[in-house]
Amino acid sequence: MTALISSPPAPRALVLPAKPSSRGRLTAAVVVTVIVIVAFWSVDINWARLGSLPGEIVRYLWLMFANPNWDKIGEALLQTWRSVQMAWVGTVIGLVISLPLSFLAARGFAPAPARGALRLLFSVIRAVPEIIIAIAILSVTGLTPLTGALALAVNSVGTLGKWGYEAIEGVDPGPLEAVRAAGGSTPEVIRWGVWPQAMPDFISFWLYRFEINVRASAILGLIGVGGIGDMLTSYTQYREWSTVGMLLLVVVVATMSIDAVSGALRRRITEGASVRELDR
Amino acid sequence: MSALAPLVLPPKPRGRWKPWLGLAVVLLITAVTLSPQWGIAFSFDAIVRNWQNGADKVLALLRPDWTFFPRTIPPLVETLQMAVIATFVGAVVSLPLSLWAARLTNPNRYTRGVVKTVLNAVRSIPDLLYASVLVAMVGVGALPGIIALVLFNVGIIVKMVSESIEVNDAGPLEAGRAAGGSQLQINRAIALTDAWPAFVNQTLYVLELNVRASTVLGLVGAGGLGLLIDAVRTFYRYDQLSLIILEILVVVVVIDSVSAAIRRRLV
Repeated sequence: MTALISSPPAPRALVLPAKPSSRGRLTAAVVVTVIVIVAFWSVDINWARLGSLPGEIVRYLWLMFANPNWDKIGEALLQTWRSVQMAWVGTVIGLVISLPLSFLAARGFAPAPARGALRLLFSVIRAVPEIIIAIAILSVTGLTPLTGALALAVNSVGTLGKWGYEAIEGVDPGPLEAVRAAGGSTPEVIRWGVWPQAMPDFISFWLYRFEINVRASAILGLIGVGGIGDMLTSYTQYREWSTVGMLLLVVVVATMSIDAVSGALRRRITEGASVRELDR
Repeated sequence: MSALAPLVLPPKPRGRWKPWLGLAVVLLITAVTLSPQWGIAFSFDAIVRNWQNGADKVLALLRPDWTFFPRTIPPLVETLQMAVIATFVGAVVSLPLSLWAARLTNPNRYTRGVVKTVLNAVRSIPDLLYASVLVAMVGVGALPGIIALVLFNVGIIVKMVSESIEVNDAGPLEAGRAAGGSQLQINRAIALTDAWPAFVNQTLYVLELNVRASTVLGLVGAGGLGLLIDAVRTFYRYDQLSLIILEILVVVVVIDSVSAAIRRRLV
């Protein structure tokens, strides 16, 4: 009998698992705090002004948006149109240049040295802000919208090229092998193997880059190449705040509507038709 | 053995004209934007005419003026200070706003809608336009640049982090609610822990963007390297501009690779 009744096991002392080491996290926190404190302490800002700042900003916001001046709306729309044109031309030139280049930068379509050189070029371009590219080329092209479009085109090549070769390398190799097995040359492999797979990605990149370029083209106006940015700087310098408020509203509405249209197109292209649309 | 059925090709897929229509629309818009009357008047003429007086300046870009280097250091440091401060302030402001803009952490549809709409509008104005307006408001210096960067950062961080909260597992949050937690307690104890990696990730990404953006904010008077770029370009000293571009390249690449290394360990 007694053999059947086992004595209850003695309760063991509750041992907590070791705490996860937090040394790395602590070091990170200390480093970040030190960097931030040094930046705040060393930057050349008159901190005493900070107290009156919110009041001033509210006052200016009131001047701008309480009663926006709609007299200049015609010219504002014209300049917005000009900015959008810059963005469009920049995107088109950029995509025409970047499409072949992204094939040359993709693994399997070009020798390794060309690939490395192109990838380096793309990342260098992406590191330089477009406004600096515009400044660099404006002594040749002058202070015209063309300068803006060309600067946007150069910058677009950097991003579109990178996204492009990543998309090309990401396609399923099966169809490519099939085309090759059926005797297809490299152009035919690209046309019938790569393009049908990568096309939705490419179109969506182009549209996305167009959205970026719309924003950037407004910026380029600041150096005087025309467009809405140019108008905005002038009226800021005249301190005509009610017109500045109207211009900002125009920028917001124009950018948001272009984003909405382009975003809807991108979704339609990458995700395909919805079930309801197919039904018709 | 039955006779072979005659070979019938399947009908061609419908809608093959659609890509061509798309291409036609794109070409039409391009033609309009390039035309002299309505568009930006693309002319090779002007380029060829200006080539002589501009080409030597552009060529100067290939010969950086190294003696200019000492003068670029203080603006470069100011650029980095602006980027760090703006990233910090932007992150602090965005954390509560991101929780506010996500459905899981803010069930109230109206406050959520207000936060999202305001931030959508804030995001659609580029940083340099903010800077140029702010310089006119608060005067020249690093301060308007920092405020412009903060506005730009809050827009990005809140959008990305609130979207990542949306796709997080809702289970732990429901557990928190079942245990009787208030929304504030749930957000603080559960949602915040879940969102933390995404938040740090976006903050580092924004730091990269800020370094890039703050180099040019000075063009409108907002401090940093841009002030120097503006001075240099007025005198067409492209050899000095070239040195500044090189410095921007180096700084951007260094910050990008450090931040990318940290972000890889994080995710």
